[in-house]
Amino acid sequence: MKWFLIIVLICVIMLIAMGVSEQYKDKFDFYSNLKSFLNQFKLNLSFKQEKITDFLKNTQGKKYFKQFVLAYEDYLSTDIINLNKIKVLEQSEATELENIIKNIGKHDAKNEIKQLDTFLLEIDNKLAKAQEDKNKLCPMILKLSLLFAIGLAIILI
Amino acid sequence: MLKDYLDPEIYHLIKKTFNFDDINEIRMRTNAKLIVVIKNKKYYLKNDKGDYIVANKVMIENFIRRASENSIYAFNDSIINGYLTLPKGIRVGICGNVVSDNNNIITIKEFQSVNIRIPHIIKNCSLSAYPYLIIDNEVYNTLIISAPGRGKTTFLRDLVYQMSQNNLSKNVLIADERTEICSVIDSEPMINLGGFCDIYSNCSKKFAFKNGIRSMRPDIIVTDEIDLEKDLDCLLEAMNSGVNVIASIHAKDIKELRNKSGFENVLNQKFFNRFVVLSDTEGVGTLTNIYDEKLNCIYCR
Repeated sequence: MKWFLIIVLICVIMLIAMGVSEQYKDKFDFYSNLKSFLNQFKLNLSFKQEKITDFLKNTQGKKYFKQFVLAYEDYLSTDIINLNKIKVLEQSEATELENIIKNIGKHDAKNEIKQLDTFLLEIDNKLAKAQEDKNKLCPMILKLSLLFAIGLAIILI
Repeated sequence: MLKDYLDPEIYHLIKKTFNFDDINEIRMRTNAKLIVVIKNKKYYLKNDKGDYIVANKVMIENFIRRASENSIYAFNDSIINGYLTLPKGIRVGICGNVVSDNNNIITIKEFQSVNIRIPHIIKNCSLSAYPYLIIDNEVYNTLIISAPGRGKTTFLRDLVYQMSQNNLSKNVLIADERTEICSVIDSEPMINLGGFCDIYSNCSKKFAFKNGIRSMRPDIIVTDEIDLEKDLDCLLEAMNSGVNVIASIHAKDIKELRNKSGFENVLNQKFFNRFVVLSDTEGVGTLTNIYDEKLNCIYCR
């Protein structure tokens, strides 16, 4: 029974650790989806010039990026935007993205592309940071949690 | 219809104060009172406290943003021509800071004012002119003349509709340069012009005349706001192809029309057989006079 409880405890700790590290992966995925979205939109501006509403309809995304697309669509119909509900974003990041959204679609194609390039630079920085966090923190959290779990198990034994 | 574009507060005030079906224009100018035009009379919009509603930069920007569905880039071709077209033929005139590069207009930004023009279908408004313009199934080349906002386009629309109602089975090509005659959204005309119309919208008259004659075999070409000098080639192309033209032009009356450059040439070459003058003496689109090709008045109010 004792051994069983110890194994359960280790599993629980590891699951929590995986959940925490998953956030970093999700954040990286979110920014990488956002980058590809902005790049696709840039292409759209150069050729098809589809309206943003139609463009969003054809945009696919998973998890948090899907929430972003839904929030964007909401903004287009209600003028109200709130990205705070996207868990992987910090308050400042959410505000920054909200400003980006508010500025998209306000210019002619040429200036829109110029503006998107600036946005893309910002997103690139965030993507690099998210990747760094993912590469460094994810394995570290897992390792530390494993050590903690083993330590706890030893104490309990 | 304008609910999706106007600020909710403004929309509700207008709806509360006026009947939307009567409104001809809504004008918003930065830092000026918002004006609603009904039958050429101007009314200032007031809020519940009785204060005048003053339009501001944000209000105008938001309106254009919504009208362009947050995609100014997708509408830039019409913005550089100073207008946007909304569903149901609503046209929005835009003024602001014109950005150009080497004499090419790139866009308009820092919008200063908008004029929302709401088209009205005045059923049968062309009926009294109809017998003078179409005789024995033959359509006369006709020029509709009136000052801006006096119902030229409404008259054109009704004339086309009446032709179809009278089973005048002629192919009508609409060269709708500014999508005023009949806006087409998702391939569907927003205004019923009858079943004999082919519509080129958002393209130059030159393109519509040249390609339309070649590919659609029209019997009649209907177009709005022609320029007697610039569009002369288009008229020539139609006349030399045996295609009739019904067009409109800005001028208060025949006297003003005669002062327009290019008119004498058009008159001498007998491009048009009928000149229809409209005014707003008894409401928009009042038929005032019809002249023949020698400018003899054959209908006088």
